Amino acid sequence: MNKLQTLKRPGLPGWLILTASVLLVLVCLFPFWWMVLSSVKTLRELYTVPPIWWPAAPTWENYRTVLFESNIPRYFLNSIIISVGSTALALVLAIFASYGFARFNFKGKPLLQSFVLVGQLLPTAAIIVPLFVTLRVLNLVNTYWGLILVYMIITLPLSVWMLTSYFKNIPVELEEAAIIDGASRLECLFRITLPLSLPGLASVMVYAFVTTWNEFIFALCFATDSSVKTLPIGLAEFSTEFNTDWGAVMAASVVMTLPIAILFLSMQRLFVGGLTAGATKG
Amino acid sequence: MAPVSINNVRKSYGALEVLHGVSIDIADGEFVVLVGPSGCGKSTLLRMLAGLEDISAGEISIGDRVVNGLQPKERDIAMVFQSYALYPHMTVEQNMGFSLKLARAPKEETRDRVAKVAAMLNLGDYLDRYPRQLSGGQRQRVAMGRAMVRNPEVFLFDEPLSNLDAKLRVQMRSEIKQNHHRLKTTTVYVTHDQIEAMTMADKIVVMHGGIVEQMGSPLELYDHPANLFVAGFIGSPAMNVIGGKVSGGGFVGDDGTRIALPFSVTEFEGREMKLGIRPEHLLLDANGHAAEIITIEPTGAETQVLLRLAGHEIVGVFRERILQKPGEILHVSLIPERIQLFDGKSGQRIDFREAA
Repeated sequence: MNKLQTLKRPGLPGWLILTASVLLVLVCLFPFWWMVLSSVKTLRELYTVPPIWWPAAPTWENYRTVLFESNIPRYFLNSIIISVGSTALALVLAIFASYGFARFNFKGKPLLQSFVLVGQLLPTAAIIVPLFVTLRVLNLVNTYWGLILVYMIITLPLSVWMLTSYFKNIPVELEEAAIIDGASRLECLFRITLPLSLPGLASVMVYAFVTTWNEFIFALCFATDSSVKTLPIGLAEFSTEFNTDWGAVMAASVVMTLPIAILFLSMQRLFVGGLTAGATKG
Repeated sequence: MAPVSINNVRKSYGALEVLHGVSIDIADGEFVVLVGPSGCGKSTLLRMLAGLEDISAGEISIGDRVVNGLQPKERDIAMVFQSYALYPHMTVEQNMGFSLKLARAPKEETRDRVAKVAAMLNLGDYLDRYPRQLSGGQRQRVAMGRAMVRNPEVFLFDEPLSNLDAKLRVQMRSEIKQNHHRLKTTTVYVTHDQIEAMTMADKIVVMHGGIVEQMGSPLELYDHPANLFVAGFIGSPAMNVIGGKVSGGGFVGDDGTRIALPFSVTEFEGREMKLGIRPEHLLLDANGHAAEIITIEPTGAETQVLLRLAGHEIVGVFRERILQKPGEILHVSLIPERIQLFDGKSGQRIDFREAA
């Protein structure tokens, strides 16, 4: 045997993995493709059987309707304000809460940590009425602040848990070294821990943003005035009692999907992580 | 530079006390090594000195200030961690200048001081690199540079060499020693490696189970260990220990082997004792004790031989080449003046020089 010996890759054969992956990607992306495709079809083309895979003359009519003849632009702005607001608020609170949980020992910490999750366990339907009553008493129904606070409450528990485990993975010696170098606790957090937690912060940000961006039930109940309605409600408004303008729904869906896609693409680099490489040991 | 005084310091976690009253005086500019097996409390003591752990009882002062209540940054100390703890998101220059930046020192001054220290440590070409782009030894140097830039009163080292390979460890050992010669900063160095302790220290503090077993210069500890623990811990191969008792003015091993002693032991007649002898204090002697050879390990310059003598396995190190084979008999004698006796129960050394 003078043939060069190579190690055999263990597991399934490569072609099988490739085929399966391609299939999976197709299944996942099909709805998006259908959404984009349907947004450039005319209403008549939408209903033809068999379906038209590419319209002979793509139309921008649906986008014109959505952008200039509906409330979608206004709802888009509302969605941005509310999602950015609640994400920012949740992130700030989660950073401090998680840092406390990750770095300090205090009485009742396990109890408090599990308490944080209790909010996450309650079914949405069970808390709608109490939340509504609370918001009305506080005079926050139909305001940005009302939805921002409600969404913050929903996203905060999981954000705190995600960040706590992320902070715990950062070697504590780094902060001790910083303390010896003369840093205060806050300087430790902002100059050492946070810069090293960017992937964790990005995950939390994307999670909180996407959750609030897509949320429907609370928005439906707490924002009845068009000045604060969000995009998911706007989509639903295209369906009336008698007919649904599917073309417009699809065009609006594309508009609604874009920010999320951009967010994911811009954060992608951070998810890879590996930022603490070289911190300790050899 | 400043003297450090540790006065009856205790540390407890809840009901568990891990340091039982430790007192150490460190002179200005002295290089002190805390050495002991893992769990002996040496790192805890260092962290208390640094201000990373509370002091449960007792007093630590640096210079003429009691530092018990002071924050780490107010203590004027710098520390090198076992894992280096370099900030991974900062370059070498930023790592080394971080403490000055926090202290809001002028930028030019920071740059100058970092450059000066980097030159001293041969890091000048690496200032723009990130820690992940450095080798283990370079990271170690950056960690030391970060401490040196601050020009502190006291350097603290927490097992700084244990992540390096054997060759690099020897090299860094001498670099640390050279830097100490140059800077003359009071240094407290923690290690579990007695060779590091022996080679670097002005003063060794041997710790065990939360107490100080003995402190002194390296050779003092080697020649006159206070007890069996220090005798066994300092020196490699370790000191040989033979159990037996004092009888008829000499030492009688467990199996009845008589070993002559150079000093009078009549006052200890009948007492259980342990006899200690360093491996290099065995001599080839045709009139000596017959000992069976178990293994022979030639290292070139010398030969280590594992022997069975007086019912115990003991190690001898000889400058001569040993031509016998395992299983054969080697005749050896013990240099009488080098024999040490330890109390059979307490393990404390019995000092005959004083008794005589």
